[in-house]
Amino acid sequence: MKTMEPTTAPPAAAPDVKTMTLIEAITQGLHEEMERDERIFLIGEDIASYGGVFKATRGLYEKFGPLRVIDSPISENFLVQGMVGAAIVGLIPSPEIQFDDFISLAVDGIVEHAAKMRYRSGGMFTCPMVIRCCCGAAVGGGLFHSQFNASWFMHAPGLVVVAPSNPYDAKGLLKSAFRGQNPVLYYEHKRLYRTVKGPVPQHDYTVPLGKASVVREGSHVTVVSYALMLQRSLEAAEKLAAEGIEVEVIDLRTLAPYDKETILASVEKTARAVVVYESSRTMGVGAEIGAMIAEDGFSFLDAPVRRVSPPDAPQEPFAPVLADQYLPDANRIAQAIRDTVAY
Amino acid sequence: MPVSNDELRGLYYYANLVRQVDERCRRLFKQGRFHGTYFSAVGQEATVVGPCYGLRPDDVIGIQHREIGAVITKGMPIRYLMAQLFARQDSPDKGKSHPCHYGWKPAGIITPASTIAAQTVIVTGCALAWKIQKKDNVTIAFVGEGATSNGVWHEALNFAGVHKLACVFVVQDNLWAESVPKRLGVPVDNLSERARAYGFPGVTIDGNDMIQTYETSQEAIRRARRGDGPTLIEMKTYRWYGHSEIDPANYRTQEELEAWKKKDPVPRFERVLMERGIIDEAYKQSTLQKIEREIEEAIEFAEKSPHPDPSSLMEDVYAPLA
Repeated sequence: MKTMEPTTAPPAAAPDVKTMTLIEAITQGLHEEMERDERIFLIGEDIASYGGVFKATRGLYEKFGPLRVIDSPISENFLVQGMVGAAIVGLIPSPEIQFDDFISLAVDGIVEHAAKMRYRSGGMFTCPMVIRCCCGAAVGGGLFHSQFNASWFMHAPGLVVVAPSNPYDAKGLLKSAFRGQNPVLYYEHKRLYRTVKGPVPQHDYTVPLGKASVVREGSHVTVVSYALMLQRSLEAAEKLAAEGIEVEVIDLRTLAPYDKETILASVEKTARAVVVYESSRTMGVGAEIGAMIAEDGFSFLDAPVRRVSPPDAPQEPFAPVLADQYLPDANRIAQAIRDTVAY
Repeated sequence: MPVSNDELRGLYYYANLVRQVDERCRRLFKQGRFHGTYFSAVGQEATVVGPCYGLRPDDVIGIQHREIGAVITKGMPIRYLMAQLFARQDSPDKGKSHPCHYGWKPAGIITPASTIAAQTVIVTGCALAWKIQKKDNVTIAFVGEGATSNGVWHEALNFAGVHKLACVFVVQDNLWAESVPKRLGVPVDNLSERARAYGFPGVTIDGNDMIQTYETSQEAIRRARRGDGPTLIEMKTYRWYGHSEIDPANYRTQEELEAWKKKDPVPRFERVLMERGIIDEAYKQSTLQKIEREIEEAIEFAEKSPHPDPSSLMEDVYAPLA
């Protein structure tokens, strides 16, 4: 039983590796990509001299100027859909959706235009763009500053959906997103911005899109998760290690199109799977992963695939006593894993 | 700048080409030669031929299902347009999208989706990119008056006004948003009044007067190209047929239709050119014969084009991930 760094991460002691927070890794990634490729520009609400409401775009306006870091009017639809046009004529736009709770206003641009542009034009037009979107509960944001709607966008073929759980992946996935030809919805969990630290190389590197990562090896049960729930799953795995339960933890990293092979290879080994995700329960990420394992890995299973998620409440409520009931914590995740192993 | 005789003859050719192609497409649909439906714009030719005539290939137009005339004038070869209606392999969209969602990259025509007004938003983003790239391209975004009630149209015009983008916004006020009359869609007679709210000029013109639509558009295009910002042009016009070929359009009166048919933009333009001696009967006949040959060739091309291979269902969903 051993705890591993994300499989591709270097040791923290390497000479050009710095320990950074997740938000620092994102900001650094944006600086480096904008230096590397002058076609990249950012547009969003409060992102220019203000540096973004969470300061993810700090320093970029000063360095790259008003034509490459653009404060937008409060026009979420234009922010995304307009940038489809900018991508078509040769730039690489990166619109920022300030909170995932506002993304509903931009769904037409994301789903009907960005995601479908390549298909609907028979490949004539491509739409390389990186839609950065701040998401997630556990910061006291209430119903409308806490959402994490990634599963909506897993139902939009043509769109790549990414949700890093650690600084190394955050920077590496961001770079891959900027270097491809697909529209990428890049989720940044606000609870993780400053609570997770890790090694980040200062040389150029990428993390591949569409590849999950086995972040902890184990033989008794597979846990599939991403973003904040991945970090809590790791906490749960650590608790269970003391009880003799060896948990294999898979970080999806890319939610769409996701890495079936890594999940199935793990479930073939462990025969048990738990999916831990942050959204209301029904038709969430667990529905797809669970159904896929049931369909393609049925013969591997010794127990039903279990889902751990918030309930079907609209979102994490504002009152702390209610909020505490919402997101799964490490104890709830651990209990679900125990139940699965004991089945 | 006075319009030259060559320009007038060019406009005459496209006005007739668009009219003839449009009427032929209606007939092809009624004959069952392609499926789905067809969105005719007969009666509205001047609102698209005037603005698009003379644009550069790297200028971009934002279009929807009814802008067949814009597409043809901007330079999409009609054989590819026919292949699109027939959903064949040689359609630029390879049979993926929709009969009337024309797109043709070499001529700067972005394949649209069906959400009304979205094309305005997308091409405004093109204009933002050109500002960043310091290019002098322009875009023309076409909508009907119905689309101006959509919030995204407002977002685009507002942004274009803030950043003085190289956009010409054309509203084809044809009085009907599918079946909903204009009086239930907008509370003003002249939609060009809305331009004031976005900080750029707006003008209402006769959308069935080819020379007026051309001259007004040229002025707006020159203004946009030199960096002075957008213009909103409202063109009063009328669509002769239903929303699409499956719509009998019985929500409107025969009197209204007949009154507008008397203002048919194509023969009206022809009369002006004849009166000025710019064209004569022989020129007219040779033009129509040339158009007829082009249309026949295009239909033959489309019908000979194979159906898409069934295995192409999953092509062009994603670009390679790595």
